[in-house]
Amino acid sequence: MSGAVGREPVFPTRQSLGLMKSKLKGAETGHSLLKRKSEALTKRFREITRRIDEAKRKMGRVMQIAAFSLAEVSYAVGGDIGYQVQESAKQARFRVRAKQENVSGVFLPQFESYTQDGVNDFALTGLGKGGQQIQRCRETYARAVETLVELASLQTAFLILDEVIKVVNRRVLTKSSEHVIIPRTENTIKYINSELDELDREEFYRLKKVSGKKQRDNAAADAEILAARKKAEAEEAAGGVVAAEPETADILGEQEDNDVIF
Amino acid sequence: MASAATYKDRQLLAVIGDEDSVTGLLLAGIGHVTEGADAQRNFLVVDAKTETSQIEQAFQNFTQERKDIAVLLINQHIAERIRHSVDSFADPFPAVLEIPSKDHPYDPEKDSVLKRVRRLFGE
Amino acid sequence: MEGLFFNVNGGFVEGIVRGYRNSLLTGQNYSNLTQCETIDDVKLQLGPAYGDFLASLPPNPPTSALAGKMTDKLVSEFRYLVAQSVGSTAKFLEYLTYGYMIDNIALLITGTLHERDTRELLERCHPLGWFETLPVLCVATNIEELYNSVLIETPLAPYFKGSLSHQDLDELNIEIVRNTLYKNYLEDFHNFVQTHPDFSGPTQEIMSEILQFEADRRAINITLNSFGTELSKQERRKLYPEFGNLYPEGSLMLSRAEDVEGVALAVSAVSDYKSFFDAVGLSQGGGGLGGMGGGPADGKSLEDLFYQKEMEMSKFVFTRQFTPAVVYAWMKLKEQEIRNVTWISECIAQNQKERIGNFISVF
Repeated sequence: MSGAVGREPVFPTRQSLGLMKSKLKGAETGHSLLKRKSEALTKRFREITRRIDEAKRKMGRVMQIAAFSLAEVSYAVGGDIGYQVQESAKQARFRVRAKQENVSGVFLPQFESYTQDGVNDFALTGLGKGGQQIQRCRETYARAVETLVELASLQTAFLILDEVIKVVNRRVLTKSSEHVIIPRTENTIKYINSELDELDREEFYRLKKVSGKKQRDNAAADAEILAARKKAEAEEAAGGVVAAEPETADILGEQEDNDVIF
Repeated sequence: MASAATYKDRQLLAVIGDEDSVTGLLLAGIGHVTEGADAQRNFLVVDAKTETSQIEQAFQNFTQERKDIAVLLINQHIAERIRHSVDSFADPFPAVLEIPSKDHPYDPEKDSVLKRVRRLFGE
Repeated sequence: MEGLFFNVNGGFVEGIVRGYRNSLLTGQNYSNLTQCETIDDVKLQLGPAYGDFLASLPPNPPTSALAGKMTDKLVSEFRYLVAQSVGSTAKFLEYLTYGYMIDNIALLITGTLHERDTRELLERCHPLGWFETLPVLCVATNIEELYNSVLIETPLAPYFKGSLSHQDLDELNIEIVRNTLYKNYLEDFHNFVQTHPDFSGPTQEIMSEILQFEADRRAINITLNSFGTELSKQERRKLYPEFGNLYPEGSLMLSRAEDVEGVALAVSAVSDYKSFFDAVGLSQGGGGLGGMGGGPADGKSLEDLFYQKEMEMSKFVFTRQFTPAVVYAWMKLKEQEIRNVTWISECIAQNQKERIGNFISVF
């Protein structure tokens, strides 16, 4: 799997290791957050769906009652008021306003019905006959429309949530976070670690070589000095003049050694 | 996606329905006729003589052109006549709601939203 | 004495109407109807009474179509009566159609006001209110033209003249126009039967009783329905017909009434109306405006009681002889029958059987 995912094109440095580590952490938190969001939304979504189903059934009943109250009107008026009603309509008395509800960062509109006071286009309809039935019919229908508005809110929430959940789920599930970014970053971290280890090992080996060489050099120098001393002793025995100079060189050699071992 | 601007002006309900449904809903007070020369009504009465193209046009008008409609109510048997448009209309605004009429009781099988619900839950 | 010459001109018409009366649905028919499961069953039950008229209906027709066909039968029978009548009886029958004409004119006024094509409205007009020059009114494009043609072309001119100008048609609510016309019509009709020499005797007695009742009913309804609207008391008072059992004291009190109790008080002088108000519980100030929902227990609203009373009076008319008033009574009974059948089929179609008994049957 790791081969397929590949890794980020970075230089294997300690800095980029730090960078990658924070990126991994971010990706993991992000992923779990998204997952939680999607779960919350889905929960809400299921609830709404259930309520839509209920509300739609309820609507059937409510509308039937309303239609029946209209039948009562035509019984009382003894005629057709449809045309007159259509023509007298001017200003909507029954309106809706939308407010927002925040579900896990998604704004769902919620319709709220209200009636505009003072607007009544049909106050005098049925004045001579059937006015009381018309009044009752209006109330029945107003209640029915309230149910409809409620249902409309649910339905809009349903459509919006449906859309949002699709997007969120795509982000959660479409191998972007879970299957691409996180493994890729993990891979990169592994790669950087291994590269860094490799570098460490190389360095160690190099240093070992260096110190080995130094030791060989020292040994050679020691031997030389020893030889020189012997020679000097022999010369001293013979003449005995130069002894101090090689002593100083030896001190320098010592310092170099220290440096290497650090 | 649902910014406040798209729906804060939407206050009205609209209706496409048979005479009885429209009359009842108008009695509830949803009727609105815009002022001015090209007075527009927010309701359409559909009878046996109404052409499907007229319904279609009203549907487009209420859903696309007018920006003051929050909820569009349409009789289910009329929605059947323009089923394609209703099914393909997926915007959240305005909410399109299929309602029963006096002579045509409500059939949940045909409702485009309920169809989606069922599809989602794989029923 | 009054019967001596009546049959010369009116005997045939009266005979026909008595025949029609016998074809009205009886309590037995209604109880059969309420047992029906579908509209088709209803159609079948109506078969003997309505015959061919229902034949062209599709299976399980909408109730409105059913009602339409039944009205067609009423109309054709009425037209036959009109064709057979002469003299004062013909005039009397003409008066019967004026009420429908008012509705038709109101419809056309509404259409013209909103600049609709009024030709489409013709088919919505009530056929009984049809007169030959009705289509002419559709030519009018504005309210002034319409007003002038109404004055010239229709028999309703006297009802407009003096109480409504063409500006009024423009400014007043159509319901006020309609009720003003109706008030004038009722007064004129009342006057007609009171003063016409041919009608002295039973017609005068019967019709003045019926018309007074009609006038009172309108006055009470207008008052009740005007609560909570912008209709002022002065305007309201102008709509009360100036005769009837309540006129003038009751009308005056009605015009001052501010709530249902006020109306109950105003009508308490007439025992019939008082008992209606008591029955629906309005006089105690409790309860809603009758009818369904929070109404009285037996499901009757004030309007139902008025209809009931009207039907009883109409039934009673048939105990009298030598009068064209039977035509009026028959028409009312027939209309109620159509309403009843519509109601029953509506209850069946909408599955609201528990209220199916809420109709008025007097035979």
